[in-house]
Amino acid sequence: MDSPIDVARCLQRWQEGDESAAEQLIEHLYPVISRIVRTNLPRRDHEDDVIQEILMKTFSRLHQYKGDAPMTHWVSRLALTTCLDRLRAQKIRPEIRWTDLTPEESKAFDSAWLGSTTSDASEAIQARDLVDKLLSTLEPEDRTLILQVDLEGRSLEEISKLTGWGISKIKMRLFRVRAQLRKHIQTLEKRP
Amino acid sequence: MNIDPNSHADARWQALLARSSSTFAEESTPPYGFVTSTLARLREEKGERELLERIGLRALFAAFAILVAAGGFTIGVQLQDRYDLEPGLNSVFQADDVPLA
Repeated sequence: MDSPIDVARCLQRWQEGDESAAEQLIEHLYPVISRIVRTNLPRRDHEDDVIQEILMKTFSRLHQYKGDAPMTHWVSRLALTTCLDRLRAQKIRPEIRWTDLTPEESKAFDSAWLGSTTSDASEAIQARDLVDKLLSTLEPEDRTLILQVDLEGRSLEEISKLTGWGISKIKMRLFRVRAQLRKHIQTLEKRP
Repeated sequence: MNIDPNSHADARWQALLARSSSTFAEESTPPYGFVTSTLARLREEKGERELLERIGLRALFAAFAILVAAGGFTIGVQLQDRYDLEPGLNSVFQADDVPLA
């Protein structure tokens, strides 16, 4: 939502050389970009550097923003594209075995049952590391898709708007990703 | 009772996501120093862009000045050649047709 600040006015002030307008825009866009980066990239992936890179891209491409949609939508798309480019540069893990897990991740796997939540930060981080490991077996687009659906709870239409993919392509991809994830989890359940 | 291995794996995945959900939550405010360093990078990039624009503009002016000078020089030389010929001749090619005295 763009309501807390007048984005159009800020953009105009920034183009006139007012740095405080840029400061306001950075503070306004930071939570939106932070959410996308945290969701789509692995936990240890230099989060602040990526957020800064996205902000630099945003400011250098401001002339492309037409103002017909909220600025946060435009920036979200830019952020997602940047995350996907970063993921494409990383190697996809072909498979994941029980012996690949750290003792903490094995524990996180055993404690993960439906309805089981945790308020302990270190347990949450262990579960996240295991989630990242499972996600590292997926194609960047598949990884983004499953998180948009299962974590963000976005509808297929929303994902279509954000990514530019058709609904049938999204459904097909989602079906395939679920099958892949199941296969990896079932491999882990078999143990060595 | 038989447990469907697919739904079992799906449940495990959902549980892992639920347990790790706090690590996905966004930061509502930038960390200390983040805005300052981003502004500094923006300033730096803007300065570099302006410098490149200035250099480009100067190079364009210089190229235009050289073009004008070269054009002026060529026209000047041609006019000079014309004044060096006999009256009534415009070029050395016409001079070939003039009978020798």
